[in-house]
Amino acid sequence: MSVDISAEPLLDLIPYGEIDPLALSVLAANLQAVLGLPTRVRPDRPLPEDSFIPVRYQYDAVKIVGSLDRERDGARFRMGVIQRDLCIPILTYVYGESQLGGRAAVISLHRLHHIDRQVTFERGAKIAIHEAGHLLGLEHCREPGCLMRFSKQLEQLDLLPMRFCSACEYEIARLLKRAVQNRY
Amino acid sequence: MARSMHIMVVDDEETICLALSAWLTKEGYSVETAASGQEALARMAEKKSDLYLVDFKMPGMDGLQLLAEIRARQPDAALIMITAHGSIGSAVEAMKRGAIDYLCKPFDPEELSLIMERVEAARAIQQAEAPVADHYAGTSQLSWGGIVGQSEALRVVLNEIEEVAPTNASVLITGETGTGKDLLALAIHMRSEHAHGPFVAINCGAQSETLLESELFGHEQGAFTGALKARRGRLEMANGGTLFLDEIGEISPKMQVNLLRVLEEKKFCRLGGNQPIDIDFRLVSATHRDLRQLLREEQFREDFFYRINVLTIHIPPLRERLEDVPVLADFFLQKYAQETGKPVEGLTPRAVEILMGYNWPGNVRELRNVIERVVVIARGRMIGAEELRFLKTYDDSCRSAPATLREAEILHLQGALEACDWNVTRAAKMLDIDRVTLTRKMKRFNLKRP
Ligand SMILES: [Zn+2]
Ligand SMILES: [Zn+2]
Repeated sequence: MSVDISAEPLLDLIPYGEIDPLALSVLAANLQAVLGLPTRVRPDRPLPEDSFIPVRYQYDAVKIVGSLDRERDGARFRMGVIQRDLCIPILTYVYGESQLGGRAAVISLHRLHHIDRQVTFERGAKIAIHEAGHLLGLEHCREPGCLMRFSKQLEQLDLLPMRFCSACEYEIARLLKRAVQNRY
Repeated sequence: MARSMHIMVVDDEETICLALSAWLTKEGYSVETAASGQEALARMAEKKSDLYLVDFKMPGMDGLQLLAEIRARQPDAALIMITAHGSIGSAVEAMKRGAIDYLCKPFDPEELSLIMERVEAARAIQQAEAPVADHYAGTSQLSWGGIVGQSEALRVVLNEIEEVAPTNASVLITGETGTGKDLLALAIHMRSEHAHGPFVAINCGAQSETLLESELFGHEQGAFTGALKARRGRLEMANGGTLFLDEIGEISPKMQVNLLRVLEEKKFCRLGGNQPIDIDFRLVSATHRDLRQLLREEQFREDFFYRINVLTIHIPPLRERLEDVPVLADFFLQKYAQETGKPVEGLTPRAVEILMGYNWPGNVRELRNVIERVVVIARGRMIGAEELRFLKTYDDSCRSAPATLREAEILHLQGALEACDWNVTRAAKMLDIDRVTLTRKMKRFNLKRP
């Protein structure tokens, strides 16, 4: 089978509100390079006000993921990117949220901020790749040097190299092949 | 990693059930949900769970009633109570009646993650059935709680564990990186009178000083910027059990003073708090460094050293107990074959010979990585010399390695890179160093793909 994967994006990055264009390019480049997921950046949209939780002053990640999942057009996987703080009903915050083996995810750059923009971008890329791994169907991994490891704190995230362990890498190759075959 | 734990989430709010089960599923657990106490008991009659996460406030049967019902039907069940913010009273009541922990919603992701680590550790203890001695009596092979081998050296270590475990003395475990000091610590815990308490581990080398401090001591609300909620530290979590401080050689003299005080007074305060909390735990530490050398260099305090080092256990490097290699290799092979679902059955005699001819600078961890890699690339049912080719060239070059350490290092790096087709990321993993370090070394020694 020969499929030209560069032609058809498998993942749409969807900016909500104003996002640094350079951040989006870094995310897309890393998703493509580390995960091998052809990615395109879509035009930005207004902040999803229906997902805003006034008492918590945060956005509901589950709601955003739900609405992205229901959209008919677009690539097989879609990932929202937002500069505001995200949470889910039971947790005080999340860096990102995704459907395991599903279509939609969202990540927030809010808590990833660092004085050095490069560090912020790198953190964002790690979260984006991690959530995209969930979209492909990967669960958390316990290898200390693997992007599918759940990072309890930013310090842990920073220590992670930009790569998967060999078991996850093997699994991704398999799942990606399947995703390419069922891209529509 | 095979994680067979089955969890039931009981909450009348659907969004909470969904969010929790999604999170736990990503962690690799199998999860079911129930919207009420009655539904939970009905489901339980069908299939028991290992862990129950129960909301305190539910219409009909409340969390405490359900707790009593679950305990009556399944005395060994683990239960965590979820309470509303600010109702510590109900949480305390639940703990008194046998809940192992509680969470105030909404909770921090790291709090949930820490609690699950504790549950896992407690489960490992429950599952490590019989005492060490029974396990290897009459057989030549030793296998207990992940400690695998057949060498005399390992037998000596396990005997020492049997001897020191029941005492309450602080134990220091020494040995090179990758020898499995964490497994020995767990073994000591399981054989001790604290076995039914928690086993709480922390790697002192993996985090910054401030992070380590708040991780150990916990903090009160508002103790520092970002401390929105009070949090228990590992010292508190280890109460009644064992605290395992890995890489103890990495902690600063200031932290040594703080810990020494805790060990002497058996009480401490959370960061930003002034309420002393009583604690009682068994201390096990480990290091790959030569602490006596650090003492001489005055990087380690003498009083602290003698406090943590009442008894010492040394685990020899793998190259000094090569008889353990085939047993370990087989153990990891079965494990990874099962995890990846590949139909790999064993190693050919020639492959075993190659493994035993290698000197394993990265110890058991390196052997584990090699086997993992080999299982992933394996095509047939048996692993032969062919699949281990990368290891052979890699070692031959080391063995014929001449005079200087520098030359040996260059050859070793070169061998590893060749074995990985000059993929720096993979080679770094095999060498158990980080990518940046390897790149730096490649630059220094001018190592390039030919
Ligand atoms: Zn995750
Ligand atoms: Zn992994």
